[in-house]
Amino acid sequence: MIPAVDHPIWTQIVTGKKPVQTGKLAINLLAQGNKINYEKDSSPANVKLLAKRTHDFFIQYEKVFATEFAKILS
Amino acid sequence: MLAAISTTLQSIPEVQSAVAAGEFLFLAGSREALSQLPAGNWVGGTIPYFMTEQGGLLAEDRIFVTRVPEMALSVKAADYGPENLANLYRDAPVHGFTFVVLPAATEVLKTFAEKAPSFDGFLLRPVVGWVAGVRVDKIGKESPVVFNGKTGSVHEAKCVALHVTLPANIMADMDIVNIFESQGGDVIRFEEAGFQVTKCLVNGKSTNLAKYITEKGVRTEFPLIGDYNGSNINVSFQNVDAAKGVVDLYAPVFPGVDYRFVKPVADYAGAFANTLTEGAEHPAFACNCILNYLYGKLEGKKTGDITGPITFGEIAHQLLNQTLVRLYLHNMA
Repeated sequence: MIPAVDHPIWTQIVTGKKPVQTGKLAINLLAQGNKINYEKDSSPANVKLLAKRTHDFFIQYEKVFATEFAKILS
Repeated sequence: MLAAISTTLQSIPEVQSAVAAGEFLFLAGSREALSQLPAGNWVGGTIPYFMTEQGGLLAEDRIFVTRVPEMALSVKAADYGPENLANLYRDAPVHGFTFVVLPAATEVLKTFAEKAPSFDGFLLRPVVGWVAGVRVDKIGKESPVVFNGKTGSVHEAKCVALHVTLPANIMADMDIVNIFESQGGDVIRFEEAGFQVTKCLVNGKSTNLAKYITEKGVRTEFPLIGDYNGSNINVSFQNVDAAKGVVDLYAPVFPGVDYRFVKPVADYAGAFANTLTEGAEHPAFACNCILNYLYGKLEGKKTGDITGPITFGEIAHQLLNQTLVRLYLHNMA
């Protein structure tokens, strides 16, 4: 079950407080993109935008990356 | 469980028949070969190099055919220039994937390489494909082109795409096979994105990259590796001009990424064989890099059991270099 878009887990992932460790290319591109974007602009508005993108990614790939997402979200 | 897709290297008459039969095709071949095809449900680009079941091959009278699977709900061909490239992602299906082929050394490729990660839909809409090229002895004499078979148009400055909508239970995903690994040591960073570099930061200290490469005797047939949260993303060297202090690359570097030089690889075919497990699930589509073919002397040598075009750049969401890309279609039912 993917948490709702306003769940704090998304902010934790975007800000790097929740580590994302996986061998999956798409997830790593997302994580690196978040890191670059957050370093460039750590404003609450940008964090909210990145958190929504991250949530949308998890929804899109929920079935393909079920194992990886379960680990990240645990 | 994976959904199957048909990929084969075929003669021009065989592909003409497939087009005439109305099949939806993603094609790679020489300009001469692709020019002989009738209008139809296909897109393609120029490249005469292939990974085949017998090994690496240069063939200007054959076409590598990737058939869109029959389960596809809809297929739409389109072409894009740099000015409307963001539409690639707007047009891409929510469930499915997009094949794309972009001509080498063009503004549309530069735009894709530098801006795709910032487009709405990046990663959410899987984009897979490659960069069109020419026979290496024709570089600078002939231009790579892409074909939109639906409209019968040929483009030197646009890319073509085939948007494939799949049933909700089929999910597209890509992985990469990178035979290079970081040698550790100095961390290179860049303050600006781009294909051409002068300054960089080596362990935080401002340095001219060309001078650094020359002084260190770095072998530039091997790429730089960018660390994307643990995934190794290559950037290959096109030219190092120590006198002018300029380095040209085949893909852009980006700020915020740690780059390192790689351990030399002596036996490319062996490295691929070690990485690619024989008998493993076959990808729906794959492509490999011309630099691996040339530097690794892969003519006549197998790349595991993977087949596909050997290209001037590979796309797995974003532009890659010296990388083997694989598309998988997962049946989640």
